[in-house]
Amino acid sequence: MAKKDVTKPISLDPRGGRPRDKCVTYIEGIDRILNGGIPIGNITLLAGTVGSGKTTLAMEFLINGAKAGETCCYISVTEPSSKMLSNLQTYGFFDDALVKEGKLNIFDLTVINDRLGVERLDGTYTSKDMEALLGAFEDIVDELGVTRLVIDSITAVCYQLPDKGSIRNFIFRLSQFLSTFGCTTMLISETVVDSNVQTYSIFGVEEAVADGVVLMGNIIRQGDLLRSLQVVKMRGTKHSRARHLIELTPIGLAVVPLLKWGQDGGQAFT
Amino acid sequence: MNIKDTAQSIIKSINDGDTLTTVSIGADSFHSDTVKIASVLLNKKLGGIYITTSRPSSHIVAELEGTKADLSDLYFVDLVSMTVGGKTDDPRTLYVESPTMLESILLNISLLERRLKAKKRFVMFDSVNGLSIYSEARVLKEFINVLGNSMRIKEIYSMLMTVKEQTSGELASALQLLSDKVIGE
Repeated sequence: MAKKDVTKPISLDPRGGRPRDKCVTYIEGIDRILNGGIPIGNITLLAGTVGSGKTTLAMEFLINGAKAGETCCYISVTEPSSKMLSNLQTYGFFDDALVKEGKLNIFDLTVINDRLGVERLDGTYTSKDMEALLGAFEDIVDELGVTRLVIDSITAVCYQLPDKGSIRNFIFRLSQFLSTFGCTTMLISETVVDSNVQTYSIFGVEEAVADGVVLMGNIIRQGDLLRSLQVVKMRGTKHSRARHLIELTPIGLAVVPLLKWGQDGGQAFT
Repeated sequence: MNIKDTAQSIIKSINDGDTLTTVSIGADSFHSDTVKIASVLLNKKLGGIYITTSRPSSHIVAELEGTKADLSDLYFVDLVSMTVGGKTDDPRTLYVESPTMLESILLNISLLERRLKAKKRFVMFDSVNGLSIYSEARVLKEFINVLGNSMRIKEIYSMLMTVKEQTSGELASALQLLSDKVIGE
C-alpha cells in the first residue's frame, strides 16, 4: 500500500478548488484583502459616501493597470473629463505619458450621448437609448482592448433609466459583455447615510447584479473623519470582511486594519 | 537607573535579539534621556524612525543635532506639529493630522521603513503616555498590541518609551506582557 503523503499542507482556504486568475490592483493592502486581486472580468460596485475616496481608489486602479501595460478606461458621468484630467495631475502616482500612449483613456459620457444622439430633454433613456449606450461601451472595450474599466458613477447613469427593472437589465447586460471580454470593472455608486445607516446604492438594485461590493465610508473618531473600506462580497475569491482604514499617501492609497475599539460614531451598513 | 545604564541595557537587548522593549524613564529626565538614547543608536550606525507624540519633531531634531549624532538615516512620524499649527515641511518627516489617527502611525512607519538604508533598524515611540491624552485606555492597549506585533513581523527593534510616574499599573502590565524586556523599572 502506498504511503500517505503527510508533508502535503492542508489548504486553509475553505473553498478548496482552483483559484481564478486575478486582476492585481497594485494598491497597498487591497490585494492582500482580496487574496491577490479582483477576479478577472468581475464587475465591482465601489459604493461610498461623498469624500470617502471612491474616485481616487478607482483612478489608482486604472493608473496602476496602465503602468503595467494594460489598456484602461475611465468613463466620467458626473464631471467633464478635462476637469478629471486636471485633478489627476495632483496625484503623485499619475503619469501624463499614460494618457498620451493611450494606456489610460478618459471619456465623457455627455460626449458619448451627443454622438449617439441619446441625450433627452427629460434626462430619461428610452430602451433604444439604453441599447445604443451599451453598444457604445462594448465598442470602446472591444476596439481599444480595455482590460480595466471604471464608470463614475453608475448612480448618475441609473438616474436616467426609467425603473428598477431597467437598471437591473442594464447592469446585467453590461456585466455580461464585460465579463466576456475579460474586462475588470469598477462601477462607482454614490450612497448616503440615513439614520446612521449606509446602503450600498441609491436604487438597491446594483449590488445584487454586481460580482463584488466594496464599501467605503467615513468613521468619526473624536470629531476626526477617517476613511474606511470594507469588502462585503467578491465572487471568485476568498477575501477579508474586516473593516480597514484607507489613507492617501505620496505613493498612492494605503490600507491598514482599523482598530476595533477606535470608532465611536461609525456607520452601520445594510 | 541612570541614562548610561539604560543605553547599555538597550544595546544588550538589541544584541540579545529582542524586538520589542518598553523603556521606562522618570519625568525629570525623560526628554533629554530619550534624545540621548536615539543619539547612541544612531552613532552605532542604526537607522531609525522616531515617532513623536509629545513634542514637535523639529525640537527633537534640534536636540539631536546638539549631540552631534548622524541624522542621515533618521526619519520622523510627527503627531504633534499639525495639531498645534507648527512647521510641517521637513522632508524626513511624515506628519499625522490628528493624534487620534493611530492607524496612520502604522501606515507611515511602513512608508518610512522603505527609505531606511541601515540593515539594523529601530523604531522609537516617544511616548506611549503622549497618546493616552487623546485615546481611551482600551484603544491605546489595542494600538500598542497591533504596533508591537507589526514591528515584530518587520523585525525592527522597537522601543516603547514610557514616563515612569505617568504609567498606570494597567498600562504597565499590558506593556510588560507585550514586550521582550522592560528596561528601567
